[in-house]
Amino acid sequence: MSAALRPLPKLGPAEILRIVASMTVACLAGAAMLGAVFMATDRYRAAAALRGERAAIRDMLALDSTATLVEVKQFLAPERRQVVYRAAPLGAEGAPGHEVTFTLDGRPAGERDVAGGTPLAAGLVPLGRMFVAKRAGVPAGFVVEGESRGFKKRIRMFVALRPDFSIADMRVIEHEEDPGLGAEVATPWFRGQFVDRSADEVAKLDVTKDPMPEDWRAALLAMAKRSPGGSARHAALLPRERAKPIYAVTGATISSRAVTDGVRATVDHFRRRWALLEPHLGGLR
Amino acid sequence: MSTVLLPGPAPTARQLILNGIFAENPVFRLALSLCPAVAVTTTVANGLLLGVAVLLVQVLSSVTVTLVRGFIHPRVRIPVYTIIIAVWVSAIDMTLAAFTPALYAQVGLYVKLIVAFAIIISRLEVFASRQPLVPSFFDGLGMGLGFLFALVVIGAMRELLGAGSLAGIPLAPGKPLLFFALPAGGFFSIALLMALFNWVERRTTGKSSAGGAGGTHGV
Repeated sequence: MSAALRPLPKLGPAEILRIVASMTVACLAGAAMLGAVFMATDRYRAAAALRGERAAIRDMLALDSTATLVEVKQFLAPERRQVVYRAAPLGAEGAPGHEVTFTLDGRPAGERDVAGGTPLAAGLVPLGRMFVAKRAGVPAGFVVEGESRGFKKRIRMFVALRPDFSIADMRVIEHEEDPGLGAEVATPWFRGQFVDRSADEVAKLDVTKDPMPEDWRAALLAMAKRSPGGSARHAALLPRERAKPIYAVTGATISSRAVTDGVRATVDHFRRRWALLEPHLGGLR
Repeated sequence: MSTVLLPGPAPTARQLILNGIFAENPVFRLALSLCPAVAVTTTVANGLLLGVAVLLVQVLSSVTVTLVRGFIHPRVRIPVYTIIIAVWVSAIDMTLAAFTPALYAQVGLYVKLIVAFAIIISRLEVFASRQPLVPSFFDGLGMGLGFLFALVVIGAMRELLGAGSLAGIPLAPGKPLLFFALPAGGFFSIALLMALFNWVERRTTGKSSAGGAGGTHGV
């Protein structure tokens, strides 16, 4: 390849134009192809994401097939100054749902049944989602979507709550924290710290930079790996640890605090929303 | 790049495919794209998925370059090759994300990196940009199969020794040699297999003096 060392001849303006045209055409053709592939595959990707979401929710709440899941989407209607909740069975496209509207200060402003596939009113801003698991007509647990500001971008999470609002499980479902540092907050052992704390304990939850006790870390790892006895070790140490703050990931205090704040805010918001919503959604199949 | 193309009669499809798998195997002979070969091959399934993705990208890119090379300005051929590879990689990436989400969650990161795999762009530059459509197709197929073969063999060795299972089926209790599942074990696995490859090749070529198909060099 020694020939490559010879300097190339100088380019005239016509030649430069041809190069630019060549690159532009290549880029445009590539972009057109990618657009076509995206349009062909995106609904399958969305369907797969939905299946993954449902599996995660059932897993987090340890649900069996007797429980049904209702998805409640929350919207803001800015010009009417109202909050709209729309509930429908999760993943059943076209199933009839129920819509409840509140004013911003929490007074009911109407409710109605909506037929499946009814489009949303224009101008609604999505605020968040929650999932209510029902068994024999009563709530068997909740999964609430929450988010907070991480070290780089927002961190999205699912918080699973029992009917008494204690934490059943927590998952970070989307984040862009640094691998090896902030990304550790998405690992099973970190989220294990939240499990089984009551709603009142979560409301006061703080973060500490103190080192995590070794026995607690071992119990969290054992529970994360679902090894036999892991949950029992976790339960044995919980009375000591539940009064203590969340131990931050070393070198990632901001990410740890972001997740903790996110969980606290998510639980707090959900309890207040549910107090409003429950009388209206009680009859939903 | 030390690959030299033989002038004279065009190699047959069979020669080209065997050349990619054995004489110029991308991992074991050309020692290209070793980084992904270490990173993803902790199990057979991972190696297989990435191998199939590379095979598809290599064949599609080789064919595309052969078809459009008349329109590519020689001064910008490398950027245009990169665009072609990137388009195919993104298309395959989106398809995998849509249809195999569980596997994609594990190796999705590496699929995007195929854009920068040395083996693909080197085949475009040394082969597909100079040869007709049919040989380019078979060269791409051979190189892709060679890479796939290498990843599956490395994955099988590391999964068997590191996790005591093969293709997800547990064969031995516990973790016999966890070392092989770790990155350092990946390098050792590749080195051992490369040595085996060389040994076998020396034995076979020593006996039969058939120098493979088009393979004209060591690395």
